[in-house]
Amino acid sequence: MKIFIMKKKVLNLIKTAFLTLVLVSCSNDFLELEPTDAISEKEVFDSYVTANSALMGAYDQLSGFNFGGLYNPIMADIMGEDVMINSVDNWNWFIPVYQMTLLPNYVYIDSPWWAGFKLIYDANSIINNSIYIPDATPEQITNLVGQAQVLRAYAMLKLAQMYSPAYAKNPEAPSILLNTGTDDLYSGFERATLSEVYAQIESDLIAAASQLEENNDKGFFDGRAANALLARLYLDMGEWEKSRDHAKLASESLTLMSLNDMFAGFSTRNSETIYSIAFTQEDNNTYLSLPSFYWPVGGYSSMRANNNFVSEFSAADARKSFFLKYDEIDPDRYIIVKFGHNNSVGNAERICIRASEMLLIEAECEAELGNYSEAQNALYEIQRRSNPGVSKSTATDQALIDEVLLERRKELFGEGFRWQDIKRRQLPFIRTGDHWVTYSFTAQDPDYFRLTFPIPQSEIDANPALSNSDQNIGY
Amino acid sequence: MKRLKGYLILLFLMGVNYTFAQSITVEGNVNDEKGLPLPGVTIVVAGTSQGSLTDFNGYYAITAPSGDAKLVFSYIGMQTLTAPVNNRSVINVVLKENLEALETVMIVAYGTTTKEAYTGAAAVIDNKIIEDRPVSSFEKALQGTTAGLMVSNSSGQPGAGSTVRIRGIGSLSAGSAPLYVLDGVPMSGSISDINPNDIESVTVLKDAAASSLYGSRAANGVILITTKQGKSGFTKISFSSQLGVSQRISEGYKLMNSTQFYEQSWMGLYNQAILDGQTVDQAQDYAHNEVEQIVGYNPFGVENPLDSNGKLIPGTQVVTNTDWRDEIYKTGIIQTYNLNVSGGSELTKMFMSLGYFNDSGTTIGSDFSRITNKINVSHQINSFLKAGINSHLSYSKTNAPPSGSGGANPVRSAEVINAASPVYDGAGNYDWGNKAIFDFNPVGLAALDKYIYKTKRAVVNIYLDVNISPSFKFRTTAGVDNSISDGLNYYNPEHGNGAGVNGRSSASRSDNLAWNISNILTYSRSKDISYFEVLLGQEALGSDYSVLSAGVTDFAVPGKPDLVWGAKPEQPGSLTSSWNMVSYLSQIKYDYDSRIYLSTSARVDGSSRFGKNNKYGLFYSFGAGWQLSKESWMPQWTWLNNAKLRASYGTSGNNNIGNYASLGLYGSGANYGGYPGLTPVQLANEDLSWEKIQSSNIGLDLGFFNKLTASFEFYNRNSDGLLFARPLSAGTGIGSILSNLGAMKNSGIEASFKYNLIDSDKFYSSIGFNISTNTNKIIDLTTEKIVSGTKLLEEGSSIYQFYMREWAGVNPDNGKPMWYVNADSDDKDENTLPDSAYDDPLGSGKQVTSEYTDAERKRLGNSLPKVYGGLNYDLSYKNFDLNFYLYYSYGGKAYNSDYIANMHDGTQSGNNLALDAADAWTPNNRYTNVPRYVINNTNQSEQMSSRFIEDASYVRLKNVNISYNLPVSTCESWKLKSFKAYVSAENLFTLTSFKGFDPEVAINGITNNNIPGVKVVTVGFKIEL
Repeated sequence: MKIFIMKKKVLNLIKTAFLTLVLVSCSNDFLELEPTDAISEKEVFDSYVTANSALMGAYDQLSGFNFGGLYNPIMADIMGEDVMINSVDNWNWFIPVYQMTLLPNYVYIDSPWWAGFKLIYDANSIINNSIYIPDATPEQITNLVGQAQVLRAYAMLKLAQMYSPAYAKNPEAPSILLNTGTDDLYSGFERATLSEVYAQIESDLIAAASQLEENNDKGFFDGRAANALLARLYLDMGEWEKSRDHAKLASESLTLMSLNDMFAGFSTRNSETIYSIAFTQEDNNTYLSLPSFYWPVGGYSSMRANNNFVSEFSAADARKSFFLKYDEIDPDRYIIVKFGHNNSVGNAERICIRASEMLLIEAECEAELGNYSEAQNALYEIQRRSNPGVSKSTATDQALIDEVLLERRKELFGEGFRWQDIKRRQLPFIRTGDHWVTYSFTAQDPDYFRLTFPIPQSEIDANPALSNSDQNIGY
Repeated sequence: MKRLKGYLILLFLMGVNYTFAQSITVEGNVNDEKGLPLPGVTIVVAGTSQGSLTDFNGYYAITAPSGDAKLVFSYIGMQTLTAPVNNRSVINVVLKENLEALETVMIVAYGTTTKEAYTGAAAVIDNKIIEDRPVSSFEKALQGTTAGLMVSNSSGQPGAGSTVRIRGIGSLSAGSAPLYVLDGVPMSGSISDINPNDIESVTVLKDAAASSLYGSRAANGVILITTKQGKSGFTKISFSSQLGVSQRISEGYKLMNSTQFYEQSWMGLYNQAILDGQTVDQAQDYAHNEVEQIVGYNPFGVENPLDSNGKLIPGTQVVTNTDWRDEIYKTGIIQTYNLNVSGGSELTKMFMSLGYFNDSGTTIGSDFSRITNKINVSHQINSFLKAGINSHLSYSKTNAPPSGSGGANPVRSAEVINAASPVYDGAGNYDWGNKAIFDFNPVGLAALDKYIYKTKRAVVNIYLDVNISPSFKFRTTAGVDNSISDGLNYYNPEHGNGAGVNGRSSASRSDNLAWNISNILTYSRSKDISYFEVLLGQEALGSDYSVLSAGVTDFAVPGKPDLVWGAKPEQPGSLTSSWNMVSYLSQIKYDYDSRIYLSTSARVDGSSRFGKNNKYGLFYSFGAGWQLSKESWMPQWTWLNNAKLRASYGTSGNNNIGNYASLGLYGSGANYGGYPGLTPVQLANEDLSWEKIQSSNIGLDLGFFNKLTASFEFYNRNSDGLLFARPLSAGTGIGSILSNLGAMKNSGIEASFKYNLIDSDKFYSSIGFNISTNTNKIIDLTTEKIVSGTKLLEEGSSIYQFYMREWAGVNPDNGKPMWYVNADSDDKDENTLPDSAYDDPLGSGKQVTSEYTDAERKRLGNSLPKVYGGLNYDLSYKNFDLNFYLYYSYGGKAYNSDYIANMHDGTQSGNNLALDAADAWTPNNRYTNVPRYVINNTNQSEQMSSRFIEDASYVRLKNVNISYNLPVSTCESWKLKSFKAYVSAENLFTLTSFKGFDPEVAINGITNNNIPGVKVVTVGFKIEL
């Protein structure tokens, strides 16, 4: 009897427990879980705080080693005549880039492409959604959108320069994909023409230049940076007047860095910085940084300068001491001491835009426009900093332009300009001296295709609007 | 008060006496037909749970509640006998062998059944195969034992898990591993924490009828692990121990010694200069000057060891000739110790074990040790309630250097550091200057760096069985599976990965807590010749995985890896990832006349992993079995003992898609300039759902001449809605979106045979063989073709189809590599020949090119074997047992990326070469498969092509075991129940043409510098008290 009652009790208990479980587990919250290390995309533009964090995320994307942090600047010089990367003790970094034997499936081709388009996507989201942020002031929205426009323009310009032939050669040549925010994931994108892409960049930058205020923190894009990028854009397009005007706007009232600043390692921003990637040791991979490759000790330390390039510097030019022969490190080639570590390996900001470049753009444009004395003055401004005794150039015409272009090499080497300078000017590519892979070809030679990256195979394979016949010439 | 107490005691005693008067003690002996005593026979008083067991002499004693009770005697393989007590006090019985059916109880999904009545495809592997093997985890012992089960061990890292696949690969990118269920409760996480010696049996559920009851987790099959339980009767104590030595599984291909490498490098430099247009003299000078720089060291005692042709001047002393493999690999020692105690009374049964496993590893810096404890207890509370607990505790610790292509992988170091590089410098310190992986001396790093991982695991399940009535039974189960893992990586401040930051330590702790509650109600009814059973149940489960990580750099004191020693903290991290599931399940079984068996099941799963629009899924199955040999119309052939036909159809799902895969997400950590940032990491797909599998199976079980049993299975598994990260154009920002993209089909035939060669009292010998085929075919992809690494996914082909350029050999005229143009391939749309094409000088009649990019990629076979299986042989004579297992795998291909690193043709000039590379083209060695060796080679010859695809077929002697059991009489005189000693050898030899260490590579057929497998010889013994 006792057992019977107990049995009944137990059974009731079980019945209740069973039903409770069935009912409780039906509740929907049980099956709607969200991660703790990410937020839903729908929440991002619900508040200014999160939207602004998304902007930080976009800058972070720009600062990544496979885009603005390292690949852009280092590859642009390795694809030139002035510096080289060692074939040994270098873990094979950038070897095929230096050899210019790149294939569409190489990581050096693949990862900047994807990183750049990810940045464009990040910027698109901010540009297209910021207007809906409920708690943002109009100023905040303008600021978010403006910076995102510069980020998008920056990425598009870099990608177009890398993956398309020069605008100067053919503005209607197929360029990169152009997406400013469609929801259609599956149709793919055709390659827009260079002129279409450049028009998009131009409109973004003009809007941003007019809307963005000057920001004292040069780790972010502001109106000045937008003007600087416009100067670069017009330089590519050969629109000398516009380029000059925006270069002036960009460098207006900035003081050039001193010679001392110049030898401080280019690792922190200074008086002439217009935009610098605000690299921090915590957020970035310090081994994959410019000084890690350039500074002769501490990191990969595998960049060397070409002897012919070094001999271009006059003995009085202070910049000549960026190059050293140091037997214990390399008995054969010049080491480079331009980009230094800031206290620990790879801890260095990456200065992307500085006034000296704007001045050189100004010089080049004025020379092109026939305003020789303005050009000479701007050039002199740069030259005399590292060589106070230098006499002002008296050259005119092409000789003056050539002088400016040479000065660009001397002043800006290692900062990621040479590759595009060769391309936009359609200069011959001549590597001689102590290079371990030499080349000599002109813009008319078939080998010139080497100055344009192939479209990544991964893109062609994934993009239904592209086929292998859309590949760049030569690949 | 005192009086009252005394009175109560008296009353109590009287009560006891009263009950005693009612019950009756029965004793007796149980023998078989030959008159031999039967130990271990179960005797139960009919209608109660009172029971007993016979001892070693077949003697039993039991208390029956009354003189008219009935005793039921049962024993595996014997006919069950019911004997009325009839007030007798001695009942001796003889049990007859059950010739009709070997009705073995099988553990199956949410219950048990008999092999007879089972309609699905399942295999039971008992502990004989798993016990006493020198393996850390049981699944490694399953290789080759079961048709349709593929186990591959791609790494010899001690304690590492294996890849287990049942009936092919059912998924493109979601997990393809089976669901593991431990004592009825699905496991979360690794199975390698289980001590193989605690396992009683393993059931592999292969088809839908067998596994569909596990719903959205059953798509890849289910493996049920049943651990040992105590039995009532004598307490048994057993102790076993084994000691083994292990070595890497094979020697691998030969590498160059220091002289060969030095000469080869000289030639590479010479060729480089010649190709640059220099004269022979200039080229020789150049090579003489540069060779030491390229190699990194002059391994000879003299300044200029090479003659003008780059050959070593005879008589030159070789100072350095490091065999880096000898430095990296060592002889490992494997030890295991197990202590078990089991026993119990009629009411309470328990099994306890303590186990220790240690594998010192065959590679420097790698080892594994584990302590396990198991306690299984069940208790009959009263006539209708029974409760039990199965608990498993383990602690494991492993040192595991990284695999892959990083500098810190010692396995890769052994292959790529050239033999001219010394391990120690002249002063006896580690030498760090090698050219292949500068600053990464693997011997030094093994001493200085740390990769320590520790795991504590507790799996505890409790259950309560309620016998509501003879027909209704109810079981409620609750389980918790918690593993806490710690990891510590330490890079020393001086060399290797930590040098740039003056040392780095990263620590992480993860905690995985999974819980599970299930309630199962069964109703069963027997009627004359039919049996009917209904199961209804509910299950809810969830899992929270959380991880905490931190790191520091800048270490002042060397050799102290704890974080407190570092000066600069790095970004710490923490997160939790969770998922939940709620399910309802049911099953109906019907047996008629032991001839017809029918079953059907249904399950509904709702999972937090699935997209908003697809939260719930329904899975069902039907199965039928038909015992043909029992049909009256079947001729009574004496040679045919058994013929049973089975058929099943059902659906299941695969939910291994990640916890939040359907959500559009912005991830954390995209910080910039010290400001916190967010970045898009995943595109939303609200339709995302489980992968749907439809599987059908036809099985035939046959028995002949009482000697041969054979079983055939024909199966078809159609997977639909396969999850795949569909590649998207970069224009969409994130390169892919997880989609239910395609369909795939796995079909195959499995056959297993067992033949009893000899079966007499003293002599037993049997041989078993199984063979499986599997054809994996993609049926549907929404994208026409997906190229992914070495593979091409497309309709009509296997998931692991190689796709790359086809190697055509070396041009005998100039030593350049050649690839077939294959202009007709669909890699490029146009079929025009490129300018670089020319007739194959080797006479294939095809067009070849020496420009890598001008050749088109082609489909070149796949990595899955065409057939695989095992063969096992058992022999026992008197007290000796011998058995061995062979495993074979035929027709799979492997892309040997490890070999590429040693056949670089000069692109990685400081890296060591395989001896095969000495056959490089020279003007005097024109017909060869190895291109001209040129330092900083740009001929692309080492790029992905069929040059590095190899046949990975092999036959392996998986295990041989010879054991000796001490005769019973001797054991008795030594007061032992039994004593066994054995010698066992694992992976003793392998027949293969594969070039690397081990043809058993990852299932996708790509080698990845993993620690090679091991061969082990062990001796061991087992004592039972």
